[in-house]
Amino acid sequence: MPDNGNYLTAAYIVAAVILVGYAVVLWRAGKQ
Amino acid sequence: MSPASDAIDRVIRRGRAIMVAGLLGVAAVYVLSLGFTPPEASQGLAFKILYVHAPSAWAMETAFVMVGLTGALYLWLGDRRLDVFAEASATVGMVFGAILLLSGPIWGKTIWGAWWVWDPRLTFTLLLYLLFAGYFALRSALSDPVERARFGAVIGIMGTVLVPFIHLTVYLFRSQHPMPVLGRPPCPPDSPNCAPALPWVLLRPLLLSFVAFTTLYIGFVTTRYGIGLRRVEEESRDAG
Repeated sequence: MPDNGNYLTAAYIVAAVILVGYAVVLWRAGKQ
Repeated sequence: MSPASDAIDRVIRRGRAIMVAGLLGVAAVYVLSLGFTPPEASQGLAFKILYVHAPSAWAMETAFVMVGLTGALYLWLGDRRLDVFAEASATVGMVFGAILLLSGPIWGKTIWGAWWVWDPRLTFTLLLYLLFAGYFALRSALSDPVERARFGAVIGIMGTVLVPFIHLTVYLFRSQHPMPVLGRPPCPPDSPNCAPALPWVLLRPLLLSFVAFTTLYIGFVTTRYGIGLRRVEEESRDAG
């Protein structure tokens, strides 16, 4: 079995940063 | 505050609540995937990239199909809210598309040994993404809202046509992209090359991730739609 945990970590961090980042942008833009 | 502003605020508040539920769902996917799911036998831990990659593809394609559908409805009915929704959905589609196009190469590098190959599935997905980048370039170049909505609707419909085609690329072409893991028919008895269906322990996070990303799409698009409606209302108030 290949040892590729670092790739998984990288993909999960990229996804989390994009999703949370966009949620924060929308949250702030939605404020009056 | 006008009744219209009240209604828009309600849309945004509802969108935010769904967005938070979606983010909690994604957090649950991460916990389930990292803490309670074993590595896959041949791909190891990198297999779990599927739990963000596949639902991102689903959410992006749903978002872009909605751009086409609301665009077609706009051309028919001429209601500006449909164009506001289409633009919101296209924006959200680009966000999920970014995850798709970044997580795919990370998986490809460790499993294929290459960040990118000009495989039909990958190439047409990139083309779809660039088409919607063009959608925003076109919209920002047009100042007349009716013209902007009409041209945007046409590009959105063109993008929607691409989506089922992208889905079929793995069947139509000699593709090295993996076949879908959901809805796969059972293997015939004597076919050594047929990949068996995913075991429940590997399927469970995937199903949860589809629910979480769909919720997140609904939350994002509702909030973004509300923000778009507020902009239109402010524009019309300034013009009046």
